[in-house]
Amino acid sequence: MIKIKKRKMQEADIPSGSMADISFLLLLFFIVSSTIDVDTGIGMTLPDFVPPGSPPPPVVSKDRMATLVVNENGMVLLSDKVIAIPQIRTNLIERITSKINLPSNKKLIVSIKTDRKTNYHLYIQTLDQVKAAFFEVRDTYSLGKFGRKTIDLNEEEMDDVKQAIPIIISIAEPETV
Amino acid sequence: MKFEKKRATTKQEIPTASLPDIVFMLLLFFLVSSTLREVEVLVKFKLPEAKAIEKIENKRLVSYIWVGDDGRIQVDDNIVQVKDIQDIMYKKRENMPQVIVSLRVDRTSNMGVVTDIQQELRKAYCLRINYSASLKL
Repeated sequence: MIKIKKRKMQEADIPSGSMADISFLLLLFFIVSSTIDVDTGIGMTLPDFVPPGSPPPPVVSKDRMATLVVNENGMVLLSDKVIAIPQIRTNLIERITSKINLPSNKKLIVSIKTDRKTNYHLYIQTLDQVKAAFFEVRDTYSLGKFGRKTIDLNEEEMDDVKQAIPIIISIAEPETV
Repeated sequence: MKFEKKRATTKQEIPTASLPDIVFMLLLFFLVSSTLREVEVLVKFKLPEAKAIEKIENKRLVSYIWVGDDGRIQVDDNIVQVKDIQDIMYKKRENMPQVIVSLRVDRTSNMGVVTDIQQELRKAYCLRINYSASLKL
């Protein structure tokens, strides 16, 4: 009997051994050419531009204002008294807390004034303290009212917190030299 | 008597067939979680540090202004003068009304230059700003 041999088919596959290397190269390219860093910082809203010669803004009662002055020598004054930067937070927390139950036109306004020669880092640190004070009061308030920190609140509750403790920071109009 | 070495009958290889898939998954992760670098920063700066910082959720809305340690100001790919900022930012705001301007200012700068930039931004009506700062540990 004659054995009929089946002819073996030649295997036709693409060598995939180097596939990993190729995709590693791609990966490297994307890692190098892209940025992951999220931009973090202190958010602010600037006041509208006031053209020179326009009437001065209405005077706000002294009781409502907390004026911070950072001068060119690196001294920080809160309501005309020299203060160390780390103390601004505790000082402001009291004043913000005392105004939680007042109507929205009586809440605390923090005004920050700088000289042209003031160091930027110092200004940011001062601003940081002010923001931290507001955030801490917000946290305490929401813990007391909702039992959670502000981070875990939903939108409605967050709106309530924002109503009670609005962050009002005013950047003082620069003096024209 | 012939001694035969005992050999394990199983294959001694790590299967590498799924390696490309794993790497592609990594690749996809990086593609999704990152944005392509858009501009080349021409000035040298070191950000200030702060604790009470927030993240900007929408990165597409952000437009940057850099101020280097030598006081040079960069917007997009160019070094610009303070007085040009108003026009540039006004055009940006026409395309993107919700624009957030992120100020990446060197920590040794004076407030003078920051105030000037802020005045220009106010004239251009770009009022949402963000002082870029890194987290203080």
